[in-house]
Amino acid sequence: MQAFVFFWLAGLLALLGLMFAFFSKAAMGRKIGSIMLAVGFLSLLATPWTIPFSPSSAYGHLLGSIIGPTVLLGVGFYQIAFSGHVPVGRLSKGDRNTGVIMVIIGVLWIEAMHWFVLTPVYPNEVNRYWLIFWPTLLLFGLACSTGAYAMVGIVGDERHQERRLMLVLGVFFSALIVLGASLDGPNVEHERFAIELLLSGADLFGVAVGAAFSVVLFALVMLIYEAQQPAPHRLAPPTSEQLQQAATTIATHVSGGEEDE
Amino acid sequence: MNEPSPGKSVVRLFLWLISPVLAVMLWLIWVVETPTDGSFIRFVNAMLTSFTLVSFMLLLTLVVYGDARKRPVSPLFGMLLCVSVGAALTLFFLSQGDLLMEANGSVRAQALSNIIRFATTALAVVVAVMIVGGTLFSSLLNSPPRTISFEEE
Repeated sequence: MQAFVFFWLAGLLALLGLMFAFFSKAAMGRKIGSIMLAVGFLSLLATPWTIPFSPSSAYGHLLGSIIGPTVLLGVGFYQIAFSGHVPVGRLSKGDRNTGVIMVIIGVLWIEAMHWFVLTPVYPNEVNRYWLIFWPTLLLFGLACSTGAYAMVGIVGDERHQERRLMLVLGVFFSALIVLGASLDGPNVEHERFAIELLLSGADLFGVAVGAAFSVVLFALVMLIYEAQQPAPHRLAPPTSEQLQQAATTIATHVSGGEEDE
Repeated sequence: MNEPSPGKSVVRLFLWLISPVLAVMLWLIWVVETPTDGSFIRFVNAMLTSFTLVSFMLLLTLVVYGDARKRPVSPLFGMLLCVSVGAALTLFFLSQGDLLMEANGSVRAQALSNIIRFATTALAVVVAVMIVGGTLFSSLLNSPPRTISFEEE
């Protein structure tokens, strides 16, 4: 019962809050959504204390473990991006430097979670969800950077620097994957990492196929619904009196323009 | 030079997205000789869970978007049907002995474990997108502004 309230209900609350905060048209709906999201997220974060006996609390522990580097990366990238050529709300050069430092610390921190002693351990062994999170992040990061490389090539014009940067990022993710599968970390052996990497690949493909099926069905449902709707009421063509009236009004407003400017 | 058609561009983008993951998986299987036990079970579990949960999220989107519509019932019913079919299929396959079961004692534990694993995968995907998107936009917005030079006639 406790696990249901503090984990599953909290997760549902966070999900519903996220949907309302982003999609609701009403300001009140967005506000309530934000509150629901905050309450649900905090409850999930607190699960190692509220429901330590439940295996689900390892997910709350993972959330707490990655929140530091994730916030540093998110805020850091925001500071760097918005200190560039933006028309309004441009940040200062100092903010840009702070952003660079935050991104460097964030990357080092998240790397130290695999290659140093900062690996999330819960309760007495490496958090099992960390062993899913980290390989999936590396695999999807690699896919995403090569995808962005192709995307910039398709939609961008002379964006060679960005393409090179995406290639460098892809090589960085690849290097981390190869190193992780070849060398032992202080808490995760390379054989274990390789197995988890393979399972993460299976997870990613499964998620992609399932989501694609769902989106296709969603589109079909909407298509069928729209096709069943009655056609909108068509107005009758204007009568000669209405046309005459329109012509008179137009003539009133365009008269007097005989002299060329 | 001919511009590539939108269809070809989408295929090219898809291949760039998918091939690195495939290459890593093939490298793991053939070069590193990683055991593939359980990979197919993970794939099917992830697929069924993703189908059910994404359908549920799309159902929620319909509810939220109903604010701006006349609250149509039939699409809601359609997506509810999708969620029910996904959940029923998941439970059916999980209850077929060891077909889709992993190291969990019961069908309920396996189903709940699948949901948490989906949430973990989603979290990793969001962080990866943030890193790649953040790097890309930082570079785009910090490169010198472009000027269009017109040749004098």
